[in-house]
This record gives sequence, C-alpha cells and structure tokens, in this order.
Amino acid sequence: MKILVIEDEKELASDIVHYLSGENYRCETASDFATAKEKVSLYQYDCILLDLMLPGGDGFDILEHLRSQNKQDGVIIISAKDTLEDKIKGLNIGADDYLAKPFHHSELAARIHSVIRRKQFDPSNLIIQNEIKIDLLSKTVQIEGNPILLTKKEYDLLLFFIGNKNRVLSKSALAEHLSGDVADMFDSHDFVYAHVKNLKKKLNEQGYAGYLKTIYGTGYKWEI
Amino acid sequence: MTKLLDKPFKAFTIYALIILLVSIPIYFLVVDWIWVTEIDDHHEMTMERIENRFKEAHLSGHDLEAILNSWNMLQPSSSIMPITENIARPDSIYEVTKYNEYELESDRFRGLQTVIEIDKKPYLLNIETNVEEAYETIFAIGLVTILLYGLLVFGFIQLNRRISKSAWKPFDNTLTKLKSFDLSLSKGVEFDETDIEEFTELNQAITRLIAENVNAYNQQKAFVANASHELQTPIALLKSKLDILFQDEKLSARQSELVNAIQIPLARLTRVNKNLLLLARIDNSKFSDSSEIDFLEKIEKSEELLQDYISERKLTYKKEITGIANVTCSLFLAETLVNNLLSNAIRHSPVSGEIIVRIGENEIAFLNSGVERLKEETLFKRFSISTTETTNSGLGLAIVKEICKQNGWEINYDFLDHFHIFSVRFSKF
Repeated sequence: MKILVIEDEKELASDIVHYLSGENYRCETASDFATAKEKVSLYQYDCILLDLMLPGGDGFDILEHLRSQNKQDGVIIISAKDTLEDKIKGLNIGADDYLAKPFHHSELAARIHSVIRRKQFDPSNLIIQNEIKIDLLSKTVQIEGNPILLTKKEYDLLLFFIGNKNRVLSKSALAEHLSGDVADMFDSHDFVYAHVKNLKKKLNEQGYAGYLKTIYGTGYKWEI
Repeated sequence: MTKLLDKPFKAFTIYALIILLVSIPIYFLVVDWIWVTEIDDHHEMTMERIENRFKEAHLSGHDLEAILNSWNMLQPSSSIMPITENIARPDSIYEVTKYNEYELESDRFRGLQTVIEIDKKPYLLNIETNVEEAYETIFAIGLVTILLYGLLVFGFIQLNRRISKSAWKPFDNTLTKLKSFDLSLSKGVEFDETDIEEFTELNQAITRLIAENVNAYNQQKAFVANASHELQTPIALLKSKLDILFQDEKLSARQSELVNAIQIPLARLTRVNKNLLLLARIDNSKFSDSSEIDFLEKIEKSEELLQDYISERKLTYKKEITGIANVTCSLFLAETLVNNLLSNAIRHSPVSGEIIVRIGENEIAFLNSGVERLKEETLFKRFSISTTETTNSGLGLAIVKEICKQNGWEINYDFLDHFHIFSVRFSKF
C-alpha cells in the first residue's frame, strides 16, 4: 500500500510516516506544492494525506488537479483549518475524509484504514482478521461463525483497534474517537474503561479476548 | 440630577428677582424725585405769576384787602398773609403731613413759603400741593415689577424649551449614537453635521477617540487570532510527538504515566486555543451560512455524543418539550451552542446530580443541579473561571454569549430551587 504524506511541517510528516511504518504501508512525503503536484500526477497512491496550507499553493488545487485527471486515489485532508465550510468544500471537491489538526495518529491510522478499505471495491465489505469477521454493511461481527452482539460504541472501538493493531492507544485517543470534538471538554474519560471492558467480555465469551491487551497505566493495545 | 439647561435658568431667574427687587426702591426714589422737583418748579412759577399779576393790577389798599380776604377764603392751595416786619426771609420749601378733610385721611403736602411784595408791603405767600404718599408709590411700582417678573420667568421657560429643542438637538443626536455604540462591532460612529462650534468639536473629538478604540480593539483581536493561529502547529507537533513516544516499547510504567499526565494539560491547551480561534472567527462574523435548525434535533445529537459523560457522572437526564424551537442560523454555531451548554451542565453537576433540558417555543434552557448562585457579572466573560476544574477553558460560556450576540438572541442565567438555569431566547425574524 502506498501512501503520500503532503505536509509542509517536516517533523509532523516524519511522525506520521513513523507511526504508519509498522503497517503494510510504504510512505512518501512531499513538503511543498510543486513536489506534491508532481508526485500525484506521476504516481498512483492508495491514500493521500493532504495539508491545505502549503508553501507555493493551496491544497485544494492539488485535489482538484487529481480529480480532473480522473484519478481515484483516496484523499484525507489534514488541516488546521477546521471550519465547516472548509470541510464541505474539501468533501465536495472529492476528498474522502477530513481530519482537523491536532489529531492523534491512531485516529489518522483508523481513517486511512477505512478509506483504503472503501477504495478496494470489495463487494462483500468484509474485514476478516483471523477468526474475526466484520460485515461493514450490516455492522455485524462474527467470531468463527458465531455472531456476537456489540453496542455501537463497542463496534466502533473494535474497528478502531483493528485499524491500529500493535499500537498502544491512550484513553484520550479512544475517548476522542468515540465522542469526537466534545471529548476535550472533559478531564475524565473513565467511560472508556467501561466500553473496553464490555467489549473484552464479549470477545472473551467466544474465547478471543487475547487480542485486546490492557497496558497498565497507559491504555490498550490490539495485538496480533 | 439637574438638566444642563435648568442650571442657567435657575441662576437667571434668581438674578432677575434680585435686580427687580432692588429696582423697586430705586424706581421709587427716582419717581419721587421727579415728582417733587416738578412740584417745586411749579410752585416757583406760580409764586412769580402771583407776584407779577398783583404788581400789574395796581390795586388800591381797600380792594387789595378785599381780594386777599376772598383769595384766602376760596383758594384751596395757597394763601397770602400780610406780615408786619419786613424781614428778608429766604424762600423755604417744606413737606408736611396733615389731615385731608376731603379724603378723610392724612396726606403728604409739599409747600413753598416766600415773601412777596405788593404795593411796597410784604406778604407771606404759601403754596401747597398734595403729593402722592410714599407707600402708595412703592406699592404701585412693586405691583408692576412683580407682574413684569412673572412675564420674565414665563419667557425664560418658553425660551429655554425652544432652545433645548433646537440648539441642543445635535448634542442629543450624539448622545443617542454613543449610547448605541458597540465596540465589538468594530464600526465607527458617524455624527450629523451641526452648525454649532462646540458640538462640532465634541463630535470630532469623539469620532477620533472611537476610531482609536476601534483600531486598538481590532489590533487586539487580530493579535489573539494570529497568536492562536501560530500556536496550532506547535500544538499539533506536541501531540504527534507524544503519540510517537507512547508507542515506545522501552517506556517504563513511570514514564508512561508521565506521558499520560502531559496529555491532560495538552488537551486543555488545545481546547483553549481552539476556542480562541473560534471566538475570533465569530467576532469576525465568519459564519454566514444559515439554514433552518431544529434545536430539538441538535440537542438529541449532542446528548448522544455526551451520553458517556452523563452516565459516567451518574446524572439523571431528562428533556421537557413544550414547544418547537426552529431557528434559522449557522449550523456550526447552533451545534457549538448546544454542545457548550450541555457539556457545561454536565461538567458542573455534582455526581448523581440532575440535568433538565427544556425546549419551549423559541426558547431552550439547560438546568443542572448546583449549590449556590454563580456570579453573573463574570459568568460570560472570557477566562473568568468559576471552578478549579482544569478542563474548563474559561471560554465555553463566552462563546455561547458571542453566538447569541451575533444572532440577536438573549442568554440568561438564573439560580432557582438548587438549579443553575441557562436559557437562550431566540428572537423571531
């Protein structure tokens, strides 16, 4: 899988590359408008992470250029501009997702995972990981053919974990994923414990709680 | 408080009263003097005429005696008496008060006594005229003066009214404009032209002052916006680096705890910065989109997002719907308003407390249980933190207030039956 990180802040770009490197991803970076435009014209990527404010130009222009060439690369806009207008504009031009800075890398990884999955034109819309089978259309989960009933939040958490396998996920990252923007209005995110505990219990009923590890004092990890 | 125009009016009135009171004795003295002088002149003239006529008549001693007798009997105001000695007596003028048998009262008389010569014999001529009484003169003058004073005051009042209506009009205009001036709208004030120099100067001075203030306010706003904008990248980097550090397998439990502890102030920094940017954007009226918003729907959406936090604090949550609150406004601002008010209610409720959301006709209210009334003056101000809670950015309610102001809505706080009540009343457009 090829990913292009278009981001002028080199430190941030290298962190993204670092975080994603464990996955089955090959990352390239572009830190200015010209390089970015050249790369998207020449090559094809599974997912492009696009910053809007670039030296030499506007990120929206790259997106327009890409879509005018009929290229179907997945695009996630990562921008400090988080107004509704920018989001709507980005999605209208053809971005697949919009993530406002600052974000947790885990959130970005989950979004990339989701975008790539959608772009693969898999008619069954299934995520299969060892014994676990997730049907994205009907939002149902089966383990070795046995359906398990998850609440919406538990289901979201499961997808988030799978999109960030082998990564330590902090409680605040999980809370932000579940509650979105409002999460940072609160100090305590203890409710995350309850959801994870329930998810773990349900997996355990099928004998597969082993993937989900609690890292003491830090967070959780989906280990494969 | 006295009105500006009443001050000179009062002074003028008192001054006029003093002058008019002083004028009464002066008038009297002048009138009396003219009066007396005139009478004395008249006496002098009469005396000369009598003397000359007797001289020209060349009367015999017997005739003279008969004439003098009848003169003294018939003439009411003069008498001619023979005197024996021919002593050169000077003319004398006197004033006497005596009983007037015709008017049945004492009257003042002015008299002239002189010696005239008729037929080489001296006679004492006495002429007397009734003069107006002093108190009568004073009374008449006083009466006229008081009448005039009344006219004067009446005139002052009328003039005062007319002047205040016309001459002070530009001042009133200026005052009305200043009262409605709002610095946060960043718009200067334009005054009407006036032909009065003082008001023109006043308007110029105020215009300059306001322009400077608006300028300073804009600079301050731009500064906050720029500062928070510039902080975005370092904050994003900090968050990114912490995420990377978090993945380090060699991290000890103690170090992990520290990393976790850093997340908390970082989250607060993120929120404060985000809110400052948001405030700056609302200030600059950047949210011009508008659509019909069903606030019940927005509240339900917000409630779903915040459900975990409600149950975490074991809060009782209920909605009371008595009307429809559908308003045309910016979608983002409507969501922000509801999220801020609901999360505010959750944060400030004690554990196991209660939250009631009321949706009425063109009105929404968020109630949460509390102990005592909050300080209203500072409640909606920026960074006026009422609790020690660290996630409180101190900007949540300031944003709510700003959103209400932009849309012309009314936000109110009340404390009733151990409930904090924040209510928003939408104006009808």
